[in-house]
Amino acid sequence: MKDTMRHPGVYALFVVPTLFLYVLFFVYPMITSLVYGFTDWNGLNDPRYIGFGNFAEAFGDDDFINAIYNNIVFILFAAFVQVPLIVFFAILISGVKRFQGFYKTTVFVPSILSTSVIGILWGFIYQPEVGPLNRALGWFGIEPIYWLADMKWAMFAVLATNAWQWMGFFIVLVLAAILAIPKELNEAADIDGASGWHKAIHITVPLINPIVSVVIMLSIAGAMKVVDIVLVMTNGGPVGSTEVMASYMVTKAINYGEYGYGTALSIVIFVFALLLTAIYQLLVVRRQERVEL
Amino acid sequence: MPTVWKRALPHVVLMGYVVAVLFPFVFVVFSSFKDNLQIAERPFGLPTRWMFENYVEAWVKAKINVYFFNSLYLSFASSLSGVLLAAATAFALARMKLARTSRWIYQFVLIGMLIPGNVLFIAQYILVKDLGILNTHWSLYLPYTAGALPISVLLIAAFMRSIPSELEEAAIVDGLGSIRLFAQIILPVTVPALVTVFIVNFLGVWNEYLLANFFISKDALRTLPTGMVGFRDAYQTNYALICTGIVYSVLPVLVLYGFLQEKIIEGITAGSVKG
Repeated sequence: MKDTMRHPGVYALFVVPTLFLYVLFFVYPMITSLVYGFTDWNGLNDPRYIGFGNFAEAFGDDDFINAIYNNIVFILFAAFVQVPLIVFFAILISGVKRFQGFYKTTVFVPSILSTSVIGILWGFIYQPEVGPLNRALGWFGIEPIYWLADMKWAMFAVLATNAWQWMGFFIVLVLAAILAIPKELNEAADIDGASGWHKAIHITVPLINPIVSVVIMLSIAGAMKVVDIVLVMTNGGPVGSTEVMASYMVTKAINYGEYGYGTALSIVIFVFALLLTAIYQLLVVRRQERVEL
Repeated sequence: MPTVWKRALPHVVLMGYVVAVLFPFVFVVFSSFKDNLQIAERPFGLPTRWMFENYVEAWVKAKINVYFFNSLYLSFASSLSGVLLAAATAFALARMKLARTSRWIYQFVLIGMLIPGNVLFIAQYILVKDLGILNTHWSLYLPYTAGALPISVLLIAAFMRSIPSELEEAAIVDGLGSIRLFAQIILPVTVPALVTVFIVNFLGVWNEYLLANFFISKDALRTLPTGMVGFRDAYQTNYALICTGIVYSVLPVLVLYGFLQEKIIEGITAGSVKG
């Protein structure tokens, strides 16, 4: 009787199809990435082993360095502009009784939509002649701005769109953490006569520190992965001003057929992401634990 | 008066945010019923003449219908296969009694969640090319199904562990084998988790851009996110028609969200925090 739950044949039947797909589309690409990254393969000739050649090339490649720089801009924008706003709005929503559900479900909407369609939608908002943004600025006598075609503005326009898409998602995460704080803590503060923002800064913010760390981590991971929005809105231009590592990698590999080099870039991206996570864990999360102890 | 203000101020700020979120949609919906002339002359007003024909033109002539159904059936097929595969695997890992093996397999599958998707993109492109399925729906269906497996197994297994073991003991006493036990007892009980995972996977596939853009170049096989980009480029200056296309892409998701808000928020946020 017990054998029913021990039957290796049935077990295999349940597990093997999943493992097959998993190995084919995750594990095998991981291994081939490591192989191709060390070759100068162009998809036509046989791959030729060149050791760390691709990696040396990457760090001498001004376009790639520029793309790294733009990823860093994405990360800094997320950490220093988005995250404070996210915490601010989450606290604000947690404080109201009326419409709380409405605010929560509305701000979340952009994060369920396709990044590509959002890129097209915002492309229309930014459209220089008929787009509503320039129309509205025109009322103040401001000359039309070529948001996506002007090197000064393109990165900002993409960052704003990206923030518009993802802030609500993180607000909902932080909001859930705030609402999970025991009511007694806030009531005690009320009795002590703490005002709204005092309470927020001295009680709420310290208590939601762990989830804020998660939000920052996810933002960094998101900023390392960012690619759709760039490909759809600017395709990296004008003159590389919005090019990020992933968009550069895709362009190099697929449009120029430099598979070996592209794969090496993907390894570099992976190592960067890993390093950033590790550094962040060491600097921020560990210190936080020490404070709590 | 000051207390009234104190109460109202958060709502004023939050309403400002809500307007910032909703304005682009409202603007695009109004523009989709105009023509270029109306967009130029009365950008912020209601349409003077409602151009319902934009919707017919985009749907039929500009082939949004083709992209729409490609997206619909790819999303449906890969989410359904993904959920069923993940459920079977989760059942074996969480409930069947091969604990050591299960722990190993579980850890092995979870590694997949640590790898950012883009990192494997080029290797997957080469793989799909080698398999000879580039430019067919298989090139999307298989990676989409596979891509959702690690997180799906994780979420479903967590749910299955919470099922009391009396349930399956009773079923075994009644003489059910593991396959029937899984199909007739466990699967129905797991439905809430399965639905959540299905919805999240469905939305993920519906919105996916990178693979869809580079694995498919035949226009008739394109999905909405990539089809829309081609559509935008083809109708560059027909702003109304582009807005119509945006409405077609966004509307089904918004309707779905209207019905299933809590489930969608719960599913997407649970997936990301654990991932």
